[in-house]
Amino acid sequence: MPIELRVNGRERTVDAEPDTPLLWVLRDELGLKGTKFGCGIGQCGACTVHVSGEALRSCSTPVEAVADREITTIEGMVDANGALHPVQQAWIEHNVPQCGYCQSGQIMAAAALLGRNPSPDDETITAVMSGNLCRCGTYPRIHAAIRSLRESGEAAGEQSS
Amino acid sequence: MKLSRREFIKAGGTGSGALVIGLTLPGCSRSGGPRITEDGSWTPNAWLVLDGSGDVTFTLDRVEMGQGTYTGLTTLVAEELDVHPESVRIIFAPVGDAYANPEYILQVTGGSTSLATSWERLRKAGAGARALLVKAAAEVWQVEPGDIRTDEGALYHPDGTQTMAYSDVVELAARQRMPDEIPLKLPENFRYIGRHDKRLDAYAKVTGRAVYGLDVERPDMVYAVVSRPPRVGAKVDAVDDSAALAQKGVVDVFTIERGVAVVADSYWHARKAQEKLRIEWDERDAFRGDHESIFQDYRKAADDSRGDTERSNGNARSVLRRADRVFTAEYEAPFLAHATMEPQNCTAEVTARGLEIWAPTQAPDIARIAAARVTAFSPGDIEVHTTFLGGGFGRRLTQEYVEEAAAIAEKLDRPVKLIWSREEDIRHDMYRPGMLHRFQASLNGEGIEAWDHQITGPLIFDYFARNAAATQYPWVPRFLYDTMARVGRLTEGTFLTPKDHSAIEGAVEVPYGAPNILVRHTQADAGVPISYWRAVGHSHNGFAVETFMDELAHEAGVDPVEFRLRHLTDKPRHRAVLEKVAEAADWKGSMNEDHARGVAVHWSFGSYVAQIVEASIENQRILVHRVSCAIDCGQIVNPDIVRMQMESGINFGLSAALHGRIDWDEGRVRQSNFHDYRLLQQDESPAMDIVLVDSEEDPSGVGEPGLPPVIPALGNALFALTGKRQRSTPFVADPGETS
Repeated sequence: MPIELRVNGRERTVDAEPDTPLLWVLRDELGLKGTKFGCGIGQCGACTVHVSGEALRSCSTPVEAVADREITTIEGMVDANGALHPVQQAWIEHNVPQCGYCQSGQIMAAAALLGRNPSPDDETITAVMSGNLCRCGTYPRIHAAIRSLRESGEAAGEQSS
Repeated sequence: MKLSRREFIKAGGTGSGALVIGLTLPGCSRSGGPRITEDGSWTPNAWLVLDGSGDVTFTLDRVEMGQGTYTGLTTLVAEELDVHPESVRIIFAPVGDAYANPEYILQVTGGSTSLATSWERLRKAGAGARALLVKAAAEVWQVEPGDIRTDEGALYHPDGTQTMAYSDVVELAARQRMPDEIPLKLPENFRYIGRHDKRLDAYAKVTGRAVYGLDVERPDMVYAVVSRPPRVGAKVDAVDDSAALAQKGVVDVFTIERGVAVVADSYWHARKAQEKLRIEWDERDAFRGDHESIFQDYRKAADDSRGDTERSNGNARSVLRRADRVFTAEYEAPFLAHATMEPQNCTAEVTARGLEIWAPTQAPDIARIAAARVTAFSPGDIEVHTTFLGGGFGRRLTQEYVEEAAAIAEKLDRPVKLIWSREEDIRHDMYRPGMLHRFQASLNGEGIEAWDHQITGPLIFDYFARNAAATQYPWVPRFLYDTMARVGRLTEGTFLTPKDHSAIEGAVEVPYGAPNILVRHTQADAGVPISYWRAVGHSHNGFAVETFMDELAHEAGVDPVEFRLRHLTDKPRHRAVLEKVAEAADWKGSMNEDHARGVAVHWSFGSYVAQIVEASIENQRILVHRVSCAIDCGQIVNPDIVRMQMESGINFGLSAALHGRIDWDEGRVRQSNFHDYRLLQQDESPAMDIVLVDSEEDPSGVGEPGLPPVIPALGNALFALTGKRQRSTPFVADPGETS
């Protein structure tokens, strides 16, 4: 059945059963393959997208649940002029990606965190980002990249490590 | 790895005036050197193509799975060609003779060999191209080639005023004769090697544009899933597919060698239909064991057979028989899944030319044989496109997903993408083999007098050879593939087949000086499919050897770092990393009184790594606070990639040390997804400091060597903390009284 979606600022109509996970609609109906399939049960975070600015696991979200909501994927993080989102830029500067497969989800999770809390302390970064698995173990760099983006780094408990 | 005397860097031109640099392998070639088509579009065995528009295209013949070949190997070529690494266009290599890994004579990315085996060849390829460009420019300007300077893709006239771009002379360069000797830069003149740190794949990977196997898109493509036997050795007996076929979007359901395939117009439709399949399995010959039964069998095998002697110095047996006191220990390393973040997948399509395969594979040439094995296509009719890999760690050296996708595609008239679920990925992995280790040792004062290490468990080559053996002889008929594997097995250790070190590597090279050393392997195989897993034998031998070494240090009453150093008198590179890591971690310095430190040092894949772990236990939970790491991997091409690989190996090892274990309920794999096959997560990742040791040795591996020491270093820290020895992984807060 046709379902109306707003993805990366565009109105899209897809033909899918209401229980189809958003992930497969994004990837295979809309061709937005930057969002990855990792586990299918919301355990790894590779499929993380933003729905109304909040991080959400698209692999375990039925598409009908997000109709008419604002959905942003990794493809929507680059602005109209091709400029990268600050989180993407920090990821490059800190040489975060290795195999890179989980990084779309990591970036979406980090951007959502910074969106609601521009100065997360170290513990908050750790706690929030613990929901996104990385088999290459890029965690120290993910942590460092997010720290580099927070406002008033000192006040938020900057420490050397 | 030196350039073989039988290999030559060759140049050629194309009809469109491009310069092509490749490799020929005279005498043993399967398809000749760089053959060039008129339009220059197809250049088998080429590494570099420089065209008149200024593009430099590098064919990357080692896959990028996170370890950094995309950046590292490009840096080698760019350095000698005098172009900026970021200006090089990189494509993934098709199957080609020149792309074979000289270490294995297979087009394999593994064994932490990519930089070591490319170090000379790719620099020569870059230098050869530069030499021809310079000769061409010398002809144009009528000056001595030696007086021409090159930089960032441009040639500079000795008069200091005239310049030309490489693209201005590529056509002329292609007609120059390649010099017999191609000199390479001296290290002091390196501009990118040792300095270039920016990953060339980072932009694609932070924007979601990198194409992994799972992202391959073909027109009119359908999706497939496969139901595989729930127990190893089971077979399909009967299938009731009526309910599945009635599901929306289902294209077909049929049985292939490895299970029952469901093909549908979308992945989700295929999955939903798969749930409706009713399959009866013939489980008469199926595996019904579990971790305990396998290790019971290992113990019995170890009791019954002394095994093959793999190293012997002095006479450890008789010394141990006479010793006043013999120290013994037994360690268990369980079966482990690879759990790459990208689940296994493959896209296949029958075309007018043959069969096309798109796969995230570590071995495109073995993928080709795997596809030929299960279809009517010959290897020559099969083209393999390699994508970015969402993790490898050895998982993608075997090609079951390619076999499945090829078999499915042959029955369809349109392209098909096969996707494994995470549950299928965990339950149908080719696992890191579980291994049993037994030690006996005696001390002479504070030194080791005799060391006897018995390793019991299976050999990986028995599983890998199935397709790999035939890959080395792709012209043999399909019905001989299994024969090739058996011959390969029978001739192991001869000139035909190298010895399988998978069970013993990291144990036979025990670096510690002792007059009597015995290392032996007792074969025992539960029949559970196994394969290479990051660091392979070093992953369990490192744990066993470095834990036992710690036990002996404790028995001798000597500090663990000091005890190791005393047994490394003639091992300067081991000593250096150990001393550097002790300094970095402030080994003897104070720390939180609830914390403790443990140490390990291990050589693997040509590199020396020492690590010190600081850990504690709080509320019955093991906490890893800091890992200090020193590595000597010879000359370093991209320093930050070396650091990244150390961080990666450490966290991969900690996943195994804290969580990793595959077990079975009467032959059915118990774990299924990340909730019960846990990976290390952000809140478990320790602080790390990585020390890179200066070296002028040739480069050696970094993808795997960071892993082996971290497991024993953590276990040794927990012993220092609790007085209880961790003799099996994953570690537990309270392992009970063990000594």
